[in-house]
Amino acid sequence: MKTPNDSPIKLLFLAPLVIWIGVMFLAPLLFLLWVGFWHIEAYRAVPGFSLTNYAEIFSSFFTGSRYGWALLQSLWVAGTTAILATAFAYATALALAFAVPPRLQRAALLFAIVPFWSSYVLRLYAWQTILSGNGVINSLLKQAGLSWKFEVIYTQIATRIGLVHYLAPILIVILYVSVLSIDRVLIEAARELGCTRWQVFTRLIFPLSRFGLLTAGSFAVIVSLGDALSGNLLGGGAGQSILGKLPTYASMIMSDYSSATNLPRTSALATILIVVMVAALVAGVALATAARRKVSQ
Amino acid sequence: MKRNAWIGLGRLWLGLAYAFMFLPLVVLILFSLQANRFPGFPLQGWTLQWYARLFDDGTLIAALGHTMIVSPAAASVATIIAFLAGYALNRFTFPGKTALLGLVTLPIIIPPLILGVGFLGLLARIHLSGTLLAVFLTHVVLITAPALAIIQLRLSQMPKALEEAAWDLGASEWQAVRRVVLPFALPGILGAWLLAFTFSFDEFIIAWFVSGFDQTLPVAIYSVLVAAIDPSLNAIGTIVFAMSCAVLIALEVLLIPYLIRKPDA
Repeated sequence: MKTPNDSPIKLLFLAPLVIWIGVMFLAPLLFLLWVGFWHIEAYRAVPGFSLTNYAEIFSSFFTGSRYGWALLQSLWVAGTTAILATAFAYATALALAFAVPPRLQRAALLFAIVPFWSSYVLRLYAWQTILSGNGVINSLLKQAGLSWKFEVIYTQIATRIGLVHYLAPILIVILYVSVLSIDRVLIEAARELGCTRWQVFTRLIFPLSRFGLLTAGSFAVIVSLGDALSGNLLGGGAGQSILGKLPTYASMIMSDYSSATNLPRTSALATILIVVMVAALVAGVALATAARRKVSQ
Repeated sequence: MKRNAWIGLGRLWLGLAYAFMFLPLVVLILFSLQANRFPGFPLQGWTLQWYARLFDDGTLIAALGHTMIVSPAAASVATIIAFLAGYALNRFTFPGKTALLGLVTLPIIIPPLILGVGFLGLLARIHLSGTLLAVFLTHVVLITAPALAIIQLRLSQMPKALEEAAWDLGASEWQAVRRVVLPFALPGILGAWLLAFTFSFDEFIIAWFVSGFDQTLPVAIYSVLVAAIDPSLNAIGTIVFAMSCAVLIALEVLLIPYLIRKPDA
């Protein structure tokens, strides 16, 4: 007699997933951590355990190759991008949930995430043509007879525009779902008891969406830290920010690899990024749990 | 009329947000049909020359061809793996299930940049890097997680009694899976395939690290882009966007009505 939990199918059906993840995900990841300790001899990567790469990276962390500055640039750009993108997506999600009639909401949401389905590289290219020195915006300004030029291309501001545009559809979905799950009865009750709309927002909706906001924000930080494309195409590699003309860390990993093809060093750089991200993620999760606990009390 | 002020403000914001979201797409499509060498104003008249040049040159079309081999194949394998695993995860309990579920979502959280470096190291050791096969192998692991999420969502709507009834009526486990579970999961499977396909289609950084001369479309576009501004990119962008819209409409028509339906009683 068959019992629901005991069947040869169990192993058979799980095996492909486990094998694929083991071979094609865990193995490369562990390999990456290991390669970071290899060294280069006569232009070939030699297996072993040496701290050469890390010593090399950290000895010139804030001088010479300036990996440290690139890391700071990344954290600064990723942090501010996450705040901007989350604020933009939250305002849009609120507008969708409260200013659009319910029967139109699904269509409006789908409409908002259409850009997600177009290619990211091509969207960045389009932004390049919009923002560039003689691009769409500046040629329009010139047509209007203005001598003022809108110059953000090849700065980290442009990098942020590209990233916010990439992140917005995903964040809008996360935040819309989180706003939608707020019990409407609570809002009506608050209104009945004399709250203004602004008070309903600050005392009810905002605290209840804090968990969604932190989820969205952490996601945005992680994606922005790992993204090299916007920094390369819109930030021009080493874009200007208040920290100076510095590449982001992800751009640096990409250019470091294509210029030196030193896989052990690139692996060590990637390992450092993993450590930074895990730290960022742990901080995000800790904040989110704290927020959730506060709400449930 | 305080009420209308807030709602009006919300709608105004929504309009601005849509304008921001759609601006690049509008620019892409508009300047794929304009004679301007550098996208900008004034417009210089309608033309199809960039499309002609795109097809004459052939590099980007060849790359689109590579992508159209890799992405459907990767999406299909990922969807099969995801269906089998989704079924097992939905039906069985076993030690380490939570750990496995966590492990499966890791490829989403780990940035593709890091995976790209890791894949490159490992694939170079076994002399596979620089091939489309390498891109295929790495994309499967990346897109299995979202495919699994959608299939699990669909399977969680399946009443347990459905399969048990099939067994009671004499179906073997395999027959029950094939004739009862599979048809039920079909909308989820289609949706998972489409999502997986989209992710693979758009994936850049891993393909950049592991692909050689046989570039996928995003990598080929990037190579053109860092060299010069070429209006052919507007043309390929418009073509790709049209394809994505077809996928999106398919997704909307096929999938969403099933996925947002309440669990069958």
